[in-house]
Amino acid sequence: MAAKEFRRRIRQALDNASLRGALGRFADSYVVSREEVYAGRDFEALRKRIAAIKSDAAGHYEELAAQFTQAVEARGGRVFRAPDAATAREYIYQVAKEHGVTDIVKSKSFASEEIHLNEYLQERGLNPHETDLAEWILQLMPGERPSHMVMPAIHLPKEEVARVFSRYLGEPVEPDIKNMVRIARRELRKKFLTAGMGISGANIAVAETGTIVICTNEGNARLTTTVPPVHVAIVGYEKLVPRLKDIVPILEALPRSGTAQPITSYVTMITGPVPAWQGDGEGIKELHVVLLDNGRTRMAADPVFKEALQCIRCASCTNVCPVFQLVSGQVYGYIYSGGIGSILTAFFNSLEDAADPQSLCIGCRRCAEVCPAQINIPDLVLKLRERVVEKQGLSSGYRIALHGVVAKPKLMHTLLRAAARLQGPVTHGRPLIRHLPLSFSDLTAGRSLPAIARVPLRDRVKCLEQPVAQPRLKAAFYSGCVIDFAYPEIGESVFKVLNQHGVQVVFPQNQACCGAPATYAGDRDTAIRLARQNIAALEEARADVVVTACPTCAVALKQDFPALLAGDREWEGRARALAAKVKDFTELVNELETGGPQEQSQRERPGQAPGMVPGIAEAASQQEQPGSPGPGGQPVKVTYHDSCHFKRHLGLDQVARQVLQRQPGIELVEMQESDRCCGFGGSYSIKYPEISRPILERKLKNIKESGAAVVAVDCPGCVLQIRGGLDQAGSPVQVKHTAEILAAGEDKGATSGCKEPASP
Amino acid sequence: MSQKELTATFTRQAEIMGAQVVQVARVGAIAPKLVEALRPLGSKIALVDSPLVQTAGVERALAEAGFRIEKDGAAFARQADSGIVQFDYGIAETGTLAMDATDLKTRLAAMLPLTCVALLPEERLRVNLTQVIEAYLEQGGWPGYFTLVTGPSRTADIERSLTIGVHGPERLLIVLVGEEGDGNGR
Ligand code: SF4
Ligand code: SF4
Repeated sequence: MAAKEFRRRIRQALDNASLRGALGRFADSYVVSREEVYAGRDFEALRKRIAAIKSDAAGHYEELAAQFTQAVEARGGRVFRAPDAATAREYIYQVAKEHGVTDIVKSKSFASEEIHLNEYLQERGLNPHETDLAEWILQLMPGERPSHMVMPAIHLPKEEVARVFSRYLGEPVEPDIKNMVRIARRELRKKFLTAGMGISGANIAVAETGTIVICTNEGNARLTTTVPPVHVAIVGYEKLVPRLKDIVPILEALPRSGTAQPITSYVTMITGPVPAWQGDGEGIKELHVVLLDNGRTRMAADPVFKEALQCIRCASCTNVCPVFQLVSGQVYGYIYSGGIGSILTAFFNSLEDAADPQSLCIGCRRCAEVCPAQINIPDLVLKLRERVVEKQGLSSGYRIALHGVVAKPKLMHTLLRAAARLQGPVTHGRPLIRHLPLSFSDLTAGRSLPAIARVPLRDRVKCLEQPVAQPRLKAAFYSGCVIDFAYPEIGESVFKVLNQHGVQVVFPQNQACCGAPATYAGDRDTAIRLARQNIAALEEARADVVVTACPTCAVALKQDFPALLAGDREWEGRARALAAKVKDFTELVNELETGGPQEQSQRERPGQAPGMVPGIAEAASQQEQPGSPGPGGQPVKVTYHDSCHFKRHLGLDQVARQVLQRQPGIELVEMQESDRCCGFGGSYSIKYPEISRPILERKLKNIKESGAAVVAVDCPGCVLQIRGGLDQAGSPVQVKHTAEILAAGEDKGATSGCKEPASP
Repeated sequence: MSQKELTATFTRQAEIMGAQVVQVARVGAIAPKLVEALRPLGSKIALVDSPLVQTAGVERALAEAGFRIEKDGAAFARQADSGIVQFDYGIAETGTLAMDATDLKTRLAAMLPLTCVALLPEERLRVNLTQVIEAYLEQGGWPGYFTLVTGPSRTADIERSLTIGVHGPERLLIVLVGEEGDGNGR
């Protein structure tokens, strides 16, 4: 459970209108300008190259550091390899002391912030001056936290900056941006011309030549490294690349992904000491490079987290993150923010420090789509969560819920049935819970919750008649908890539509929760236990295909089970065999209707495609186009919401649209930001309702503006979230699972299952 | 890319990035152009010698036009209104200038004054950064201080409002010199 202080920071950020306004405006325009600046470029190829270079480098830091050191020393510079923050700070302090330095100019460096250099130097009587405008402003505001990695002062309105400047100058300053930039130029110019030392970071360090590469727009790094007689560069090991030519793809991506610029105004490459003014004449500058480890080599040795060292610190992952946009870097704390920040913090600071920041990730995977270093950030966050849980244990509420209930399917199902009976007075006979008793009020704020079905799908299926004469295919339906207990009608629709397509469907009664709640809470043990139970249950069905209608479950069955059971001799093979059989409902319908995966139909021989379910081609050839004409001839406007896992894990976003478009009586209209998270994230919406809610509100706004009467989705979690939000907002727009929409157009197929519990 | 295309692309990109580009057909046209362009921008000039500056007689022309020329000293370029330097290459793709700026005065003149005048022979335009890196490597030895400059110094740190001239020049004037322009450059 997030600490009190952390909760307070979240509240504060959410309540800060100018922070949210600034971040939101930036994020909106960023998406568009990023697209433009990459137009005509092969982003996938580019990030593949960067990932390859950086990942290879992360496997060879020792060699690269040695080569880099040799190259710098050959030119007359010095390299100090600092194992941790303390030795790095002390070394830099000693260099300053040796030269009798009192004033230091600094250009932006994450590494220097990471080692808390400024505080250390100040305590020893030195004056480090930040020269990046935003950093300088923040330096003049003690206690203020940076809100963004690339634009740390983005949250400050100009009036606030004017107040800070006038306090600094002791005279009134108008909130005129151009004028304030002039003031900064004038004041900082004095510092540049008098400082005894310049400290910079580096964006890249080239081993073969000993070159450090620094990108800035303001030009402060050029002055920092040109005017003072001593230059100290703080360079993390992860900045190392082997060859000069390796900088080209990084320089192509960094400014484009960072600020949507084709290039920064200045790119400075320093190789060894260069001429500088020394007291009374031109001499040679003293150059010190501090190669900082501070957790990096430990990270490089970690098979899972090594990937995070590919990061080039562009911050584009945070620019697209729906959570970051609401809470900003001020909430993540520490230097590095967003999902990637929590991972870096775990190594550069400590696992404890990363515990709260990592919990903010809702797992929507947008960041992974745009990361120019091809880092799978959400998966790494989950791995981190596992480690946090391993070390700190689950919070007691979670432990009881996961170990005591979710891990014991029989008990959970009994409890859910009991709840269905008990909830009567709360739901007032309505299908949605609008109000919960006071202690749970946050759960329903802005969103109604569905009532638990009086008869879950697992019981209803017993009464389902399946009019399939000669089934072409036998499918086992894996419903997942939400369909089973909250939306059994979605499950019935799945049965009906598949029956119509000549598929016989069975419901293995021993199936249990897919374990996603445990996985996303970092509870690996429970996830493994559930994986085994489900594999056994689904094997028993002896079906040709295992159908899911929940992308979270699909990901669990396809990816998580084999990963969780990897190395387990008894179970690994079984997990893989099951994974190969799993198919999403909509994907299967598409194959049944078109005769196979898209690319297959293009080929000459209509043989069996890899991964294609046997019998599909035959079934399709006998099938007529399903559906009935829309009522009254007027097509219904349907808009499609891309569930995060459905689009970014399963990659089925276009398939779903094709299926819907083939359905008569439907006009598909796109909403804005259709692939933006709805804010559900499973237990996330319960843990962080204050974050989930504004994300949902944005989704509702986009839905409303689309003018659609129906929102189609392929995830019961999104149904829950969006339906609840629309209900609470009193909107007439309906939310339907694709299965329900298709079922409405079917005339035969399974009839409805048992509606009343055996003994009420 | 032909020379014409290189020039057109470079000019377009550099202007998008906020630089001013003027083309002169011959070396002889450089000095009069500078006198005209710099007159409204202040009379103190930090001048760094280079082949083009020499052959074009920039120093004399500016002095005769009443500018005060600085070429040296402990306070070099600190008070100057404009700095004049010759760049080594231009990169068409991004409208970027490239140079070996190991020489201290070159760096100071290009960074301290509010206006930076960049002289560049047109034939030194290249398509992309890779070509430029290769050109240096072919000459042997990687420069001690290599710099890429694209447009003026800029910031968007306050309310994301783009403001130019924060620490470096607020005006970047690129003088592209036509065919006779190489002036035996590096
Ligand atoms: S993780 Fe990827 S997107 Fe995020 S800062 Fe690093 S490189 Fe950029
Ligand atoms: S997965 Fe989504 S919520 Fe998590 S860090 Fe990435 S963008 Fe943010």
